[in-house]
Amino acid sequence: MLDRASTFSDPAVVDLLKSKFIPVAIDQAYQRRQKDAEGHFYQKIANQGPRPTDQGTTQGRYVATADVLLLGFNNNRDPARLLKLMQEGVKVTPSTTAAPITPGPPDPKYVYGPPKGGLVVRVNSLVLGGYEETTDPSKKIFQEAMGRDNLWIRKDEHVALAKGEVPESLIIRLARFHLVDNTRGEPPMWEASEIMENKIELNSGKLSGNIHLKTPSGDREFKVALMGFVEVRGGVVTRFDLVAKGLFRGDGPYTGGAPKGDFPLAIAFRLADNLDPADGIPPQGSRGWLDGYLK
Amino acid sequence: MFSIFSVIALTILSSLTAEEFETLHQQLQPDAGEVWRSIPWKTSLLDAQAAAVREKKLIFIWAMDGHPLGCT
Repeated sequence: MLDRASTFSDPAVVDLLKSKFIPVAIDQAYQRRQKDAEGHFYQKIANQGPRPTDQGTTQGRYVATADVLLLGFNNNRDPARLLKLMQEGVKVTPSTTAAPITPGPPDPKYVYGPPKGGLVVRVNSLVLGGYEETTDPSKKIFQEAMGRDNLWIRKDEHVALAKGEVPESLIIRLARFHLVDNTRGEPPMWEASEIMENKIELNSGKLSGNIHLKTPSGDREFKVALMGFVEVRGGVVTRFDLVAKGLFRGDGPYTGGAPKGDFPLAIAFRLADNLDPADGIPPQGSRGWLDGYLK
Repeated sequence: MFSIFSVIALTILSSLTAEEFETLHQQLQPDAGEVWRSIPWKTSLLDAQAAAVREKKLIFIWAMDGHPLGCT
């Protein structure tokens, strides 16, 4: 979110991206492993840079041609440095002989979409308070950042919701993978054994409940109350609005800098409408084990 | 003796009111006017490659651990 609010909010960067580039955003943990046309395309580009795909993360910003020539790379969010990278790139005339790559069969281990007949729900999270005051612009961005993920609901769970029931499997998925503090980066998810309480009821279209999550050491904990609404038309869920709010404690290896002690965290759910490119992103909790996420 | 924070904590834990639900649900919708959202991000590299061929442009890849349009 720091990149979104700083690097990619710089007017010069945005103008150049829009006018001279085809911008694409990816979670490279997939593409650097994929054994398919998309994976091979990415791996050829990344392997021309300083972060080969066989040596861990290839995170960064790449400028490349359609015929797989890397023109530049950096992993710095300074807008001036990114602008320089892009300006160097556009000095190269794009190939006139490049052809679109035939997709071929995708690698099923890494390329998957939401369950057929199910639902995609946007999930946004926000820390409501508890941070120490700061004048540091970067820290301020983190403190005000909104987390974003998608909740996938299976077809059978969709059918159950339409009948006025909340399946246990959905409650557990929601608790383990979506009641997390992802406002500062990739969060640790909850183990099933860390669910102390999980109760969500649906009565006359109104969702309500309480969930309590806690690690064995107590270094992370979230006690949350939930309220929401489900509407159904012709057997199809047309509204799934839910808010979870409670006191969170702790952080993870990639979400450092949380407020000290217990702090208020809210998470909102709303059906996706496919107007946001992020609606198509697999849930963070499904990375590398879709079956485990959806079970 | 309860501190003010304890009272707030108990309120948070018990339940949400309809008013809190409405306020928070609205507050947690992203601002559609954020500048980075005006960038026409693709999420498929092959779609981007095909568009680059068609429009005779270069490809800019924003590759992160976790999806850049999501939680990173």
